[in-house]
Amino acid sequence: MTRPTNSSEEKRVILETGSGNDLYGEDYTKAACRAVQDALHHSSIIIFRSLDIDHKTMRVQVTIGVQEPDKVDTTLVAAELPRGYAEVTAVFGGLNVHDPELGTTHVVATAAVEAYVPIDAAAWRLCNAV
Amino acid sequence: MAKKRMVVQFGQGHSIRRVDYTAAAERAVRDALWHNSLTVAEAFGFPKSAMIIDVEIGVQKPEEVNVDEIIKVFPYGQPSVRVVRGGLDIPKPHREGINIIANAAVIVSFAMEAEK
Repeated sequence: MTRPTNSSEEKRVILETGSGNDLYGEDYTKAACRAVQDALHHSSIIIFRSLDIDHKTMRVQVTIGVQEPDKVDTTLVAAELPRGYAEVTAVFGGLNVHDPELGTTHVVATAAVEAYVPIDAAAWRLCNAV
Repeated sequence: MAKKRMVVQFGQGHSIRRVDYTAAAERAVRDALWHNSLTVAEAFGFPKSAMIIDVEIGVQKPEEVNVDEIIKVFPYGQPSVRVVRGGLDIPKPHREGINIIANAAVIVSFAMEAEK
């Protein structure tokens, strides 16, 4: 296994983005969880297998944008992240689509999921593909 | 095997009004790319031009995808495109025609090896 060395530095390898809605429940946590799932499933960080890196060393920084960030249960959102250790913050953003006639609000959340991994760049070099 | 896969990105694209498999495929590739921002080249100190980009596209009529148009989507790296039978065509309910759905996977690799 490729273990972090003294010269390893935490580097961001990817920013994944997604959006999620809660259409009738005005549940900001549910919209945020769906946004995280959308973000996660548009990519696979296969580097952990390719370079035999322990995925437990990954730090996952999650930022949720919704119109009422105080209503997001960040602990529940963090539970959506299957690998590494996640830190979730909710900020003002996203979009609410209000229908004044029916009095309904569609909640749209946006999620940014950043994966940070300790990498020793000096331990690797480019070569010819076989 | 020196070619190491870093990330696989997934996307889906449609052609709803025109029956255009290339447009659907191109949108699927854009969907895959623009859901993510890769910083893996910087993380290793490699130039982005060293990125090996293997694109796989699934549509119901692979022979109708113009691969050159797909290649143009990529601003850097070494892209190659493989089109297979897949995706989904759904007939329109009230008149002639189909909705085309393309699936895309964009596999980003480096040819790399450990120092020493």
